[in-house]
Amino acid sequence: MTETTAPIGMVEYLLAFADDEHLMGQQHTEWIGVAPFLEEDLAFSSIGQDELGHAVQLYELVLELDGTEATDEAIDGLAYRRPAAHYRSSTLAEYVTTDWAEALVRHWLYDTVEELRWQLVVDSAHQPLADVAARARREESFHRRHADALLDPLLRSTDSRSRLLTALDSVGPHLPSLLDAPSGERGAVTIGAASAPLASVGPEVATAIETRFDRAVPEPWTTPATAGRTQRDPGFGALMARMLEVLDFDPDATW
Amino acid sequence: MAVYEVFLKPEGKDGYRHAGAIDAADDELALVLAREAYARRAEGARLWVVDRRHIVEGDAEFVGPNADKPHRHHDGAAVAARRKIQREAAGPDEPAP
Repeated sequence: MTETTAPIGMVEYLLAFADDEHLMGQQHTEWIGVAPFLEEDLAFSSIGQDELGHAVQLYELVLELDGTEATDEAIDGLAYRRPAAHYRSSTLAEYVTTDWAEALVRHWLYDTVEELRWQLVVDSAHQPLADVAARARREESFHRRHADALLDPLLRSTDSRSRLLTALDSVGPHLPSLLDAPSGERGAVTIGAASAPLASVGPEVATAIETRFDRAVPEPWTTPATAGRTQRDPGFGALMARMLEVLDFDPDATW
Repeated sequence: MAVYEVFLKPEGKDGYRHAGAIDAADDELALVLAREAYARRAEGARLWVVDRRHIVEGDAEFVGPNADKPHRHHDGAAVAARRKIQREAAGPDEPAP
């Protein structure tokens, strides 16, 4: 370990963000080839790549705090090789769906929160995090615009609107897990690494959902969970196994 | 869905070039999808999308007859050819004194 001014909780705080980005990016890219039309295949996977890029940068910050060189192997170690209980991802990013309406609503909701999440750290006292946030925010505004561009026409049509509202009912209950604070969050706010806890964006997210879907938001959706992101969604194991399938096929391969 | 034609303009003085086409439900979706389909690897700095129905086309029958009017070309080929004939008719240049 090298000397660092950041408290150890900062690692947990960053891991929660990194794990969300990693799993969300992975799940978006899995739509390549099976999204409803070719152009969307490309766009959705490309957005997934952006999220994976954010995850890499956040894992690098974790390794930096840990005094470990950020090699590809070290980043893969954090991304793929921790015990399930050590992940700090939200069930919103973990749960698996094969329904396009759900994938699209989750994309919109996740990116709505993510945009606000970056805003909380754009003036971070932890300068490397502020630097990552500055770039990520530019990409996030596009991600939201992409989701809105799809939702605009789809919500105008009766059939697709009803499918999207059904999807919203499946995705919304995962919002508390996204707003749940990992154990390092309080410390991160104390030292000014973040301007506020993520749960503070709850009311703004509720308003955004109501405006977007023209529908009331049940209060439990914006009430943060209190598990400290220590519990995995039932789908986590299968998702991780799918990701490791190729890596484990030849563990010594050079990529 | 409508078909949109996609144009990209690189950084600098070069103009817009046709990049391809895309299916989209409206203008905004066309922009968003074209950005990822045609410009995700920084192929351009600016982007136009045009609903194909808004393009006014002159077809081959309309434009074609202009293909057969060499007198409208001013690349100097005809003049160069005439001067070559005159030079050859005049015989080899006299050696310099």
